[in-house]
Amino acid sequence: MPLALDPAIIGREFDRTVEGPVTADELVAFARALGETRPEYTEAGPALVAHPTYCVRFRGGRFYPEELLKLIDVRSGFDAGKDIQLGAPVRPGDTIEVRSTVHEVYEKTGRTGSMVFVVIRYTLSNQRGEMLAIVDNRFMHR
Amino acid sequence: MILDLHLHSELSDDSRAPVEAYLKVLQRKRAERPLDGIVLTEHRQFDPARDYRALEDRYGFLILNAAEVETDYGHVLVYGVNPDILARFDFSDVRLSAQALVTDVARLGGIALPCHPGRATVGLCDHYARKPPLEGVVAVEALNGGSKKGEDARVEELVQRFGYKAYGGSDSHLVSFVGVCATEFDAPIRSMDDLVAQLRDGRYRPVDFRAR
Repeated sequence: MPLALDPAIIGREFDRTVEGPVTADELVAFARALGETRPEYTEAGPALVAHPTYCVRFRGGRFYPEELLKLIDVRSGFDAGKDIQLGAPVRPGDTIEVRSTVHEVYEKTGRTGSMVFVVIRYTLSNQRGEMLAIVDNRFMHR
Repeated sequence: MILDLHLHSELSDDSRAPVEAYLKVLQRKRAERPLDGIVLTEHRQFDPARDYRALEDRYGFLILNAAEVETDYGHVLVYGVNPDILARFDFSDVRLSAQALVTDVARLGGIALPCHPGRATVGLCDHYARKPPLEGVVAVEALNGGSKKGEDARVEELVQRFGYKAYGGSDSHLVSFVGVCATEFDAPIRSMDDLVAQLRDGRYRPVDFRAR
């Protein structure tokens, strides 16, 4: 059966969550866990910024909107990759606002049958209103 | 004239390959993959505004646009996409009728050719085991760069039994795979119209440039 998706869901914000403030300790720990050695990511001080991939740890307060949960069997699935557009760097003391929207929902067929892909866009900004990152998180369900 | 008839760029959801990067690889590997051009077959979409003429001029390869769509008989490559075909079919629909696609694309000036027919579940071979054969199919992709062991071998029987022509494509989603399988045409091809005409009535064969 075709996916009975209401197109109005696309682009609509379904969650807005504020997290933080970010601490220097967690930025350093995150970078070191990656094996990062560059001082701008691993040494506390005025020059410290978050490693660029730090932005993927933010997922907002709700993974999917209610409408999608009724439409797709989300009991099984896996992370199918991310596209990240980086903005201003995250710094210690920043609070992070995460706005979640459904960016895209589509179907495709592969070797193992039909699949549904959901792309949730997380738009991250700091307390100064600067865009930190736009993360398109792709998840596959069948 | 050798063309890779099946590959995906970063416009497809499952590829991150820039078109220019494909051309750079082909330029560098010309001795082992002597291609003259590529045909981009993005998944479930066709954008008539795409224009790669600047890249053609810079690298000296022919670059044509087609599409890979999904049907009740598996995936199908559509060449010669035009406004009439786009008005007739919603390429994002993963349940297109393969018979309608083959018949109507031909009527509207293009050609629709099943791809990776040996692939389990979504290939034409498995569909033919359960359903009547399609009418009007001209050729099938007998060499696909993404096939698993044995999948292309299954296509030989299909070609023999139904008299289909055979073509090849890399199905590349990664830059380094461009041109590993392709199609050699006897006649020159300079445009999509030429390609459609040759695929319908010309002489061509799949060629394999994978390392043995």
